[in-house]
Amino acid sequence: MNAQACFHCGEANPDSAPILARVQGRQHAVCCPGCKAAAEWIETLGLADYYRLRSEPAQRHDGVADHAAWDRPALARLHVRSTSADRAEVIVLVDGLRCSACAWLIERALRGIDGVLDVGVNALARRVSLEFDPRRIKLSSLLAALSRLGYVPHPLTAGMIDSQRQRESRAALKRLVVAGLGTMQAMMMAVALYAGVFDGIDPAVREFFRWIGFLVATPVVLYSAQPFFRGAVREWRARRLSMDTPVALAVALIYLASMLNVFVGSHEIYFDSVSMFVLFLLLGRHLAMRARHRAGDVVDALSRLQPVLAERREAAGYTTIAVHELEAGDIVRVGSGAAIPADGELLGPRCRIDESLLSGESTPIAREPGQALIAGSLVMDGPIEVVVHRIGADTVLAGIVRMVTRAASERPALARLADARAARFVVRVLAATLITALAWAWFDPGRALPAALAVLVVSCPCAFALAVPSALTRAVAVLAQRGVLVVDADALEALARADRFIFDKTGTLTEPSFERARIEVIRGSLEQALGIAAALEQSNSHPLGLALRRAGASAPPKTATALRHVQGAGVEGDIDGIRYRLGRADFSLHAPGADTVHDDALVLADTDGVIARFPPSEQLRPAAAALIRSLGDAGIKCEILSGDRAARVARIAGLLAIDEFTAAASPADKLARLAVLRAQGHVVAMVGDGINDAPVLAAADVAIAIGEGSAMAHAASGILLASSRLESLLEARHVAAEMLVRLKQNLNWALAYNLSAVPLAALGFVPPWLAAIGMSASSIVVILNSLRIGRHATASPDAPRPVSEAVA
Amino acid sequence: MNIILLLIPISMVLLGVGIWAFFWAVNHAQFDDLDTPSLTPLSEDRPAAPDAEEP
Repeated sequence: MNAQACFHCGEANPDSAPILARVQGRQHAVCCPGCKAAAEWIETLGLADYYRLRSEPAQRHDGVADHAAWDRPALARLHVRSTSADRAEVIVLVDGLRCSACAWLIERALRGIDGVLDVGVNALARRVSLEFDPRRIKLSSLLAALSRLGYVPHPLTAGMIDSQRQRESRAALKRLVVAGLGTMQAMMMAVALYAGVFDGIDPAVREFFRWIGFLVATPVVLYSAQPFFRGAVREWRARRLSMDTPVALAVALIYLASMLNVFVGSHEIYFDSVSMFVLFLLLGRHLAMRARHRAGDVVDALSRLQPVLAERREAAGYTTIAVHELEAGDIVRVGSGAAIPADGELLGPRCRIDESLLSGESTPIAREPGQALIAGSLVMDGPIEVVVHRIGADTVLAGIVRMVTRAASERPALARLADARAARFVVRVLAATLITALAWAWFDPGRALPAALAVLVVSCPCAFALAVPSALTRAVAVLAQRGVLVVDADALEALARADRFIFDKTGTLTEPSFERARIEVIRGSLEQALGIAAALEQSNSHPLGLALRRAGASAPPKTATALRHVQGAGVEGDIDGIRYRLGRADFSLHAPGADTVHDDALVLADTDGVIARFPPSEQLRPAAAALIRSLGDAGIKCEILSGDRAARVARIAGLLAIDEFTAAASPADKLARLAVLRAQGHVVAMVGDGINDAPVLAAADVAIAIGEGSAMAHAASGILLASSRLESLLEARHVAAEMLVRLKQNLNWALAYNLSAVPLAALGFVPPWLAAIGMSASSIVVILNSLRIGRHATASPDAPRPVSEAVA
Repeated sequence: MNIILLLIPISMVLLGVGIWAFFWAVNHAQFDDLDTPSLTPLSEDRPAAPDAEEP
């Protein structure tokens, strides 16, 4: 670390009068009093080893924030879980927790505080779980301790903690594995018994095998199948029938009948069938649960966007309170760089707001007093005052979170449909079983049980239950290998049926680029400026950063250290001991709020002023033309809906031969256009990068987001092109279409098989062992059919293979 | 043939041990995150035994 950089955070030290912190007997220069306090506090705790152990500099320390508001009962109730009078638990998300040395430091420092009972640090999840004695120490002191160390603590509400999710997924995994292992063993015994029917078997060994079969199937039924029994009982109490009811009935009946036969020592046993049934059903549920949990992570991230504290104006000045204590009509102050706590109206002064949350547009928008502001958006130059209109669940942000949550908690419509079909089917099978048993009891009581069980087993709804999930799962897996992530399985069906594709322009059909001819170099050479810029952007995945790296690929490579990204503004870092900034003009020139020329050019500057300006231009993505042509060949109309200026949109539409386009469209315009198309009966697919799109994507039949876009879009989109290769969209469409075909084949096969097998079994022509084989075979046919999805190369010939990207 | 009367119960016991081991692993967070642990060898080592360095 050089002498110019702060000992604690690695930022440049001020030239005038260095501030010195004493650590391990030596004076170290630091950049600000905050860092001095942090460093010396770490030293007094005897934890100075942190500086030797850490792999990354600490977060810059801007003085200790006031955490007293966290002690308000209203706020504490939401975040602190009291286990007993002298034990409370809180989980804190810690910004700035970067490496395992941080975890070590936090654990050591907090354990030393009186009243702290237990500390658990998870560096990956950036979470610290704290158990403390609320009578001896207050939550605010704990948070203050964390911020004195240089971290920014965010206590999490109960809803954000995923312990319940963790319990659920652990239990599901255990049930699945028990069912899997039990099924294997039961099948082994069953195969031996079937073979014994043909080749002869010692009766003693036969008995033994039957008892073993009973033994291995018991945990499967009593443990793994529990969710089905619980669900059936719950629904039954509410006087309803659900998918669980017939499943639980079938499992219980088959199991009890087989158990009876084991005890009696005669007739067939079906432990293999019942285990396999449970296993396949659990498999389908497990996949659905994993998808739901993945979407839950997105909801967590969204919920964190909204701040929890607000500064309310009161007679005596400003008081920090919890956001949910706000009421409509309150006036709150929001500082520069902070998030707006509630939907409201700007009181003044005029300012610029980053609404990328809702619109995705990262360019800040100027707002005049009286205009509406949205909770969660960032104030670029404050402080401002806001009159609160709507809070909490009524805000736009809460609406988006709800939308995403709802999408995540719903089962795919296809699967629901198949469930309903299977459930109806099982009810009929149960009726048929009953009729068979009664009829045979009339004619020949000895054959009643075998015939009834044959009906029950031969018609085992496995084929129905598997038809949809197996096809969906296979299609999702095939696409995942090709860089297409399916978030919402319904999206696949809609994608296969879509007859209108709507594209956002920026970031979707086009990507930003920097033309060397248009770069203005004020000092030094073009190559030098590009080299510095590329080095500063080395870890940035934003499209502009990637474009700058591409432009600077030919320049002599440089290495930047002490990189710091400032959200929505730019990046700064050291190259050869000089501190550079790259980003929006006001950021690069250290002049926040200054009314500099506002275009979208990136400015590179050092402490002496501007070095170069990079105005971005856009170029067509390599595969865009081929994609539009292929979609056209398939009879699909494409159109562009863009928020950009008409001339630029028209130029791109002309290049791609798209004749329908709408320019300068606001999110509301886009929604209206989608509504018109859908009202005309079109199935609409919307492709965007999330910029401008979160609500629009959610309104389309199928939403497809391109990988580099903002995280928001991923939340609202059903399909995500992770590789950001446009042509993978074509592959996805082929696979989705193939999936629909296979799915229909599966359902038809299951129907045909059952319609022909059940009457034969009811008439007593099918011995139970053959019924069991028939049932297994029919399921296997379904699975094999589903596995055929994606076997053939599905990319159309005119879609060029991806050009391998040169990534530094 | 009588040997299977011994071998199968043994295999059942082994199965039980396997399931017990799996439950233990699940309860000890071995299956909670299957993606990120594969990256941890690439990151810096955890500080070695901090206790030993204390006076």
